[in-house]
Amino acid sequence: MFLAAAANPLNASELVFPTLEVIHIVGFAVLVGTIAIVDFRLLGIGMRRQKVAELASDLAPWTLIGLTMVLLSGPLMFSSDPDMYYLNRAFQVKMVLLLLAIIFQYTVHRSATKSEGPPLRQKLVACVSMTLWVGIIFGGIFIAFI
Amino acid sequence: MSIAETIQSIGFLADLRESALVYPVVMTTHLVCIAVFGGMIVFTDLRLLGLAMTDRTVTDVVNQFRTWKRVGFCIMVAMGILLAASEAEKYTPNPFFWAKMFSLVLVAVHALVFRPTVYNNTAAIDAAPSLPGRAKLAGALSLLIWFSIMSNGRLIGYWEGPGSPGKPVAAVTHVQGH
Repeated sequence: MFLAAAANPLNASELVFPTLEVIHIVGFAVLVGTIAIVDFRLLGIGMRRQKVAELASDLAPWTLIGLTMVLLSGPLMFSSDPDMYYLNRAFQVKMVLLLLAIIFQYTVHRSATKSEGPPLRQKLVACVSMTLWVGIIFGGIFIAFI
Repeated sequence: MSIAETIQSIGFLADLRESALVYPVVMTTHLVCIAVFGGMIVFTDLRLLGLAMTDRTVTDVVNQFRTWKRVGFCIMVAMGILLAASEAEKYTPNPFFWAKMFSLVLVAVHALVFRPTVYNNTAAIDAAPSLPGRAKLAGALSLLIWFSIMSNGRLIGYWEGPGSPGKPVAAVTHVQGH
């Protein structure tokens, strides 16, 4: 694993990692931003003049763009020092939450935005969604502090 | 004692800096605000450019995001002040920090310039046959300024200036771990 990190061309330049981080942060702003807008709507605290379904379908392509940006930049950053990340408890938690969040986003969350379900269910879905994404950001920050 | 040293030695700011939990929590809050409210800013801009949410009127998008953008901006700035003040000595010589502050000044200038003709004038923009150039310009410049804020913010952690040892500002440990 150490050899893999040393041989990785990403480690040849000091500029690569910061560039990836910038892509990662812009990507996550778009990803989490779009999901949060829909969650605010599900909670009934914002964008109330749009139907949930309309808002969700407007934003879905952008959510996917954000997700693509983080999923391209993230693994590249991981590859720069796999051992450190792999063994980092915050990173492990982040990955589990990320997997849960993506599954939740494209199953429960998606169906909640398509139906005008009972408000309580909608609100619950929004809370779970936001908790998962905040947890992921928290995990990401904590990688450096653990 | 320098000003920066004085600031960061204020009791609660020193506590914040030295806390293993509060500092990352404040930083996470800062980032969550960037994502949530930065996302709204991005979508207001993309709407002004005619690239996203084109089924909705500009008025709808600008007005509905406005309150939340303001709330988010306040929390984001409050957390940012805490982060910067608690590490004042480390931030003051950092060029990326000042680039970010300069970009924040540009946000204010942008608001002063474009608020009367764009953000407070959305009914006219919606009535126009196509998106007016000044609306697109406002959107494009805002995107650029916010990209500068986010990337410079991130790059603060990568500057290894004179006398900057101690706890990493952010994910610096990755790089040092190589």
